[in-house]
Amino acid sequence: MTDGGLAGALAESTAEVLEKMFFVRATEESVPASGDVDGDLNCEVSFSGNPSGRLVLRVGLGAAHSMAADFLGDDEGALSEVRVSQVVCELANMICGSVLSRIESGTTFRLESPRLLSAWEASGPHTVTHSVVLGGGILTVEFSTERPVCPMSV
Amino acid sequence: MAYRLLIVDDSPAMRSFIRRVIDLSGFELAGCWEASNGIEALEVLRGQWVDVILSDINMPGMDGEEFMRHLAADEMLRAVPVVIISTDGTDQRIHRMLSLGARGYVIKPFRPEVLREALEKTLAVIHD
Repeated sequence: MTDGGLAGALAESTAEVLEKMFFVRATEESVPASGDVDGDLNCEVSFSGNPSGRLVLRVGLGAAHSMAADFLGDDEGALSEVRVSQVVCELANMICGSVLSRIESGTTFRLESPRLLSAWEASGPHTVTHSVVLGGGILTVEFSTERPVCPMSV
Repeated sequence: MAYRLLIVDDSPAMRSFIRRVIDLSGFELAGCWEASNGIEALEVLRGQWVDVILSDINMPGMDGEEFMRHLAADEMLRAVPVVIISTDGTDQRIHRMLSLGARGYVIKPFRPEVLREALEKTLAVIHD
């Protein structure tokens, strides 16, 4: 699979998860992936398979609260930081699984439990990034693998 | 009829979402228990009979596959229908879980009605 194909899978997975589970239609945005912003939540999901790698999701706190409220059906003001973080971790988990299901249809993969990162950490060379604009800010997803995704696994 | 349900997922957010979908779908529940992995789920099942189990696959401690094997090895528990809810939509995984005895497989992300339909199908089998 080319980086373009992988980028398409990442974009489709992100849009599908946001629409089906968060009832949000996001607008695609071209923004730089690097750089850490105060108040952003960063979450990482590592995966093993063919190939292995990780997905890192970054979202502004305002957008995270809004999405968590949509997901849980609660008022934004009633949500604790812990619950918002749990929803962001689940969002990262679902996007990662969805991408892998698209690119590793001929094999199985394993996801590690999502974990919050204290800061944005740059990934390796085999990385694609996708950003969307939500009501309360920007959501960026970075998908990286230890080596290029094999065309045979598509 | 009111049903007794067990939700097995390591994500508290996903357990809340599933419970919300079930409530909004109009299912009457006599009880709903939650577990964060297969070990906790088996502990729940030692003390409670449930009509249906909704289980994730990727979980620390005891994952969904091992949990299914434990259920299959138990004369009583093997009768409890399990619907898998997982991000893993690969053909191999789906076939493996169905061969282990899962009655249904819902791929995340899913629209709420997909989970409702999977539950209705599974519970209809109980009535038959």
